[in-house]
Amino acid sequence: MTKDVNLMPSEAVAVQPMKKRRKKIASLDRRKARAGWWFVLPFVLGFLLIYLPMIYDSIMLTVQWKSQVTGELTFVGFDNFISAFTTKSTYLQTLLTGLQNLALDVPSILIFSLFMAIMLNQKMAGRGFFRAIFFMPVVLSTGIMESIAAMDTLSDSMSGGIDSGAAEVGGEAVGTGGLMSIADIEKMFSGMELGADVIKFITDLVNNVYDIVNRSGVQMLIFLAALQSISPAIYESCKIDGATSWETFWKVTLPILSPMILVNAVYTIIDAFTSTQNVVMSYISTVGVDPAYEGHGTEVATAMSWTYFLIVILIVAVIAAICSAFVFYQRKSD
Amino acid sequence: MNAQNLDNKPVVKRESKNKIRVEFDRTPLKDRLKAKFLSTFFLKNIVLWIFRLVLMVGISYVVLNPFLTKIAASFMAPEDFVDATVRLIPKHFSLDIYKAIISELGYFTAFKNTFLLSFITALLQTFVCCLIGYGFAKFKFRGRNLLFGLVVLTMIVPHPTIQNAMYNSFFEFDILGIVKFLKGGGIELFGYNLKELIPALENINVLPDQIRFGEYLDGAVTRYSVDMMITQNGIDVTNTFIPFIVLSLGALAFKNGLYIFLLRQFFRGVPDELEESAYMDGSGVFKTFFRIILPLSIPMMITVFLFAFCWQWTDGFYINLFYNQVKTNTVFLSWEFIDIPSSLNITYAGTQLYNTAIRNTCGLLIVLPLVILYSFGQRFLVQGIEQSGLAN
Repeated sequence: MTKDVNLMPSEAVAVQPMKKRRKKIASLDRRKARAGWWFVLPFVLGFLLIYLPMIYDSIMLTVQWKSQVTGELTFVGFDNFISAFTTKSTYLQTLLTGLQNLALDVPSILIFSLFMAIMLNQKMAGRGFFRAIFFMPVVLSTGIMESIAAMDTLSDSMSGGIDSGAAEVGGEAVGTGGLMSIADIEKMFSGMELGADVIKFITDLVNNVYDIVNRSGVQMLIFLAALQSISPAIYESCKIDGATSWETFWKVTLPILSPMILVNAVYTIIDAFTSTQNVVMSYISTVGVDPAYEGHGTEVATAMSWTYFLIVILIVAVIAAICSAFVFYQRKSD
Repeated sequence: MNAQNLDNKPVVKRESKNKIRVEFDRTPLKDRLKAKFLSTFFLKNIVLWIFRLVLMVGISYVVLNPFLTKIAASFMAPEDFVDATVRLIPKHFSLDIYKAIISELGYFTAFKNTFLLSFITALLQTFVCCLIGYGFAKFKFRGRNLLFGLVVLTMIVPHPTIQNAMYNSFFEFDILGIVKFLKGGGIELFGYNLKELIPALENINVLPDQIRFGEYLDGAVTRYSVDMMITQNGIDVTNTFIPFIVLSLGALAFKNGLYIFLLRQFFRGVPDELEESAYMDGSGVFKTFFRIILPLSIPMMITVFLFAFCWQWTDGFYINLFYNQVKTNTVFLSWEFIDIPSSLNITYAGTQLYNTAIRNTCGLLIVLPLVILYSFGQRFLVQGIEQSGLAN
């Protein structure tokens, strides 16, 4: 490359150096490709030497039984899968509940985070302060706070009759008590002709506000970053052309954000599905020690979680396929 | 308004070297105020402003409320939990809960260990993910997309699914049968052991049967030490930092796929010309990366570090999985740390609530360092992700 730069213009036009140059660029590309492998080497090594054996072992465990005493493995075929669905029929039910929750949570998290990102993107007093508060759940609420909340629920439900005023102080006012009761909502909607399902949907949504706010931190960050990278010139020209902000949102902001909506949808599904707090995951974790499976709970639990994994992968693939048909990719500015 | 003023020519009142004072006829104050405050534009804005403020404050309240109630309860004396008139402000202010947790549960030891673990893993993860993200962003090599698909796969497979396999692989930690070979187990090739061909392999035994881990790496920071048993099946590295470090080195730890994705997007936004000019000047690929690209990406690296640090800090899953022998010790600020100190273990009408408050206080003490860290690092969060140019 260095040599090419030093060439005089007259020489560069000549035919022979052209040939030479092409050859050199190819070799540089190859050298860069090799360097690329060096950069991703940690992952390649980690994947091949550590991750792949784990995955292999885990999948093998679903078709085997491990003896409690000797640790020997015996091949049992699909027995684990069969007992996952038959020994206790609650698995299928839990799976359906889990998917139902997913269908409820994903759109609400997406819409909420998009809405909040738009709010936080506008110029207003104390924006930095509000941003700091909204992103706090991103770093704080992955593990421990959730488990404490779960423990509270447990203890509250066990103890039963605590008077509500004191419970609000000691326990968790939002998570367990609920912001609104079904009765309130029913009162609100009694005038409208809405089905019981719709009312339940709305109550769930309202009661889950805390959960939704907590889980939409990363999505909010991603949307906010995308919003900030939209050039103000586009909005300016919309304004000049007389578009209202409502039209601008639907015709400009949303299409530009659409790739991020896809990314966030996939991320939300994965996040919801890998979280240990989700219904199916917590159900599976109880299966491992369940005496109903005669000491093979671990194997059945592994089989269950792989089935769950396959189902969610399928959902992710379908949603990604549907979404990508509507995604608008901005041509990269040259 | 403006048109009116333009008609009346401004009068220059006084002119000095640096200043000019111009006076012109202005619209009367009343008209000006009317025009400003009674326009639909202004009204619409003020309604929007109020709406937005109410919404923001409301959601901030939802986020902060659990913390507020927990903080309030943590300062209460046992009497307050049976007093129906006490809601948020304690009647009998006391620091007993904090004192008991700090002295009886060994808060500072746990803090030190958690800090060390989180710091080491976060540093490693940031660095490794930077390398990998840069490799994916700037180099075109065969199989790149497939490899990135594998990164996404590691993110998708939930770790609880493979927790048994994960535990086993670190319970009998052995890469490519090296330990087995060094312990005289021979080399396994396609189900056939070379030991039968070369009997001498059996006499190799260069590794001790046991390593006292505490004396080598961990002794200074924890109150216990662990014997790592070495057998032909591998080394038992559970109850040490090693599983965390190995997972971090391979970018396989919690949510590392997300970090790789973020960093890849960030490095894609770095103009190629920067590297090209560095190559022109004779800098190699690695030198360019370390001297030019890394210093550029510090905000993004801080973002990733913050994620990695905080998520390791609040993690209970891996700690529980790999530290199975030390359940009784309060070694880390995790699940096991959330316990009732014995001096506060009293039985009265409000025991249930009091215990909940104690557990909540444990949780508060766990996240307190993170809140402090976050308050310093939060401006990098948006800045870092902004720079990643995710929208492109």
